[in-house]
Amino acid sequence: MRYRILAVLAAALALGVVAATAGASGQRAQANTLTVWLQVDAQNGWPNVVAAANSAFEASHPGWTVNVEYQQWTDHLQKFDATIAGNDTPDVIEMGNTEMTKYMASGAFANITADKSQFANSSKWLEGLTASSTYHNKLYGVPYYAGSRVITYRSDLFAKAGIKKVPKSLSQFQADLVKVGKMEKHVKGFAPLYVGGEDWYTALGFVFDYNGSIATYKHGKWIGTLDSKNSIKGLTRFKQFFDATQPKSTANLDGSNPYPYTVFSQGKTAANYGPAWYTCCTGKKYAKVTKQFVMPSHVAGQPMPGFLGGSDLSVPAQSSNKAEALAWIADFTSTTSEKALQAKGNIPNATNLLTNAVNDRAAAKSWFVPQATNWVNVENGNILKTMLAQLLSGQLSVTKAAEVASQNIAQTLNQS
Amino acid sequence: MPYALVAPIVVVLGAILGYPVYYLVRLSLEKYGLFELIQHHGTYIGLHNFGSVLHDSVFWHTLLRTVVFTVANVTLTMVLGVLIALLLVRVSTWVRLLVTAGLVLVWSMPPVVAVQVWSWMTNVQNGILNYLLTELHVGNFFQHNWYLTTFSQYSMVTTLIVWGALPFVAITVYAALSQVPHELVEAAQIDGARAWRVLKDVTLPVLTPVLLILTSLSIIWDFGVFTQPYLLIGPGQQTTSNYLMSVYLYVEGYGQTNFGRGAAISILMLAIVAAMSVVYVRRMLRVGEEQ
Repeated sequence: MRYRILAVLAAALALGVVAATAGASGQRAQANTLTVWLQVDAQNGWPNVVAAANSAFEASHPGWTVNVEYQQWTDHLQKFDATIAGNDTPDVIEMGNTEMTKYMASGAFANITADKSQFANSSKWLEGLTASSTYHNKLYGVPYYAGSRVITYRSDLFAKAGIKKVPKSLSQFQADLVKVGKMEKHVKGFAPLYVGGEDWYTALGFVFDYNGSIATYKHGKWIGTLDSKNSIKGLTRFKQFFDATQPKSTANLDGSNPYPYTVFSQGKTAANYGPAWYTCCTGKKYAKVTKQFVMPSHVAGQPMPGFLGGSDLSVPAQSSNKAEALAWIADFTSTTSEKALQAKGNIPNATNLLTNAVNDRAAAKSWFVPQATNWVNVENGNILKTMLAQLLSGQLSVTKAAEVASQNIAQTLNQS
Repeated sequence: MPYALVAPIVVVLGAILGYPVYYLVRLSLEKYGLFELIQHHGTYIGLHNFGSVLHDSVFWHTLLRTVVFTVANVTLTMVLGVLIALLLVRVSTWVRLLVTAGLVLVWSMPPVVAVQVWSWMTNVQNGILNYLLTELHVGNFFQHNWYLTTFSQYSMVTTLIVWGALPFVAITVYAALSQVPHELVEAAQIDGARAWRVLKDVTLPVLTPVLLILTSLSIIWDFGVFTQPYLLIGPGQQTTSNYLMSVYLYVEGYGQTNFGRGAAISILMLAIVAAMSVVYVRRMLRVGEEQ
């Protein structure tokens, strides 16, 4: 008996030493199945648009079925890498516009320059998204949709606090939030604004508002500029704004746990700063009082530059269903589809579809990440989040945290 | 004929162990990034990956952090596990049944599920832990962030890991305790030995081989643990100031798509774990020979 225990344990020990590496495997796509990877945003926000595109595609391609697999932003690239290794890539993949460059530079996507005309409104595509899909003058992606960031707020609370007009400047907005916060002090855990301190899209908006930047390319090398005079000004103002309007316990949260709109729907905040589609999820109770405006700049009357996020749809180079993949993308980015996306609070992919909606207005002044091959490594390395957690929690001074981040960014971007 | 008999196991081991290890070593000597992945072909660069890892201060900080983390986790797991096992011997049958059932339930919980449940319970905004501690007047835990500092992050991870590892240790040690010859314990007691003396000089020596193996296993598991720290702290919160070795390996290899460097790190990890366990394995072998 005793020896048996020892033997079993020894076997487990041997296995433990061996089990150091593990591999991922996917199922090989069946014939006549088009595999499409979309982000969960589509699953949560506009599943009907996806379904409509699938029906249109299946109607014009008898015998084909579309298999949509929804992915998370945090790990979809690692999963995509695994499919590249296994020669088992999806036929269509949604990529964040900040993620494109590295993959285009490495030859991961099919060159679709010659196919551009088959997509609706392709001559009027948004410049920002088209640029993110273009590498060395060749097109590797189709703009899907964009999103600017706006303030989603509770109009009832603002009115109750005696605020009659939407704020025209940052300091006005901060004063309004403090006022609402004082008024709602009786609600336990109430935060006038809820974003999450590590939401770097918000923080960098301040940097760009003060004419700062993240990195510049000079003499064949990237130089980190978050520690420049203007960038520091922006970060310092961001910290002031955060300290006045948000609880310190959110300093190292990135807005995914909990989601800002969840806090909104629980009645624990008066405002969120994020994508315009947040209106989807602020709760039935507050649906009527959920309103939006453009985040004001520190210069009165101006909007604060917002991050122009967005997604592109690409066909991996290894896909053997390129023609069908492009046909599906054409169905999914048709004028009807794009208008449906717009109705959900997104910016459509072409200028001729823009309206005077708050989201479209916010997009008028925007900023974007450096278009460097390795930018996605800066995101994956959480360099910006680390900087924000450090400076908001007081662990490092604004200047010191920005210096460290700036060095790390330059080092990452210059890696060969 | 003997070669024919041993051939199947050689083939199987070669396929599931030999080839991956060969591939890992080859990968560690190559530049293998996204471009090479798409080409399915790396470029040989000798020991460059090892050099760059060993000259990276992040590697050494991570190694130190991981060693401290491993020592803390293994010590807690072993001490608490043995204590629970000793307790199991003394309690009445139905209590033993209940506790064992509880332990088995904990053991059967997949780590990913456990992490999700813990993450909900300790959520800063809506977690039940903050609510309970506040209601019980332990202190003001309203919106307390359990993941604010690296130390508190790893206290949470350690709690989760020790909780998950206890059943295996407790049940195995309990099984081993039943092997302690009763007449030895009785003889020691007749000679006037007190409980502590009996434990130290009779029970523990009999348990030694099992404890050695359990400790080695725990070291191997905890040194390379990935699921709990990566998911509980969150993919978005992994930074150079809180990496464990496995997370460092994942970020460098997969996150930055630098598989050559990742392979080099994993070979170094393997060497370190082997070095850490060698003392135990040698003693284990010696104990085996004595018997």
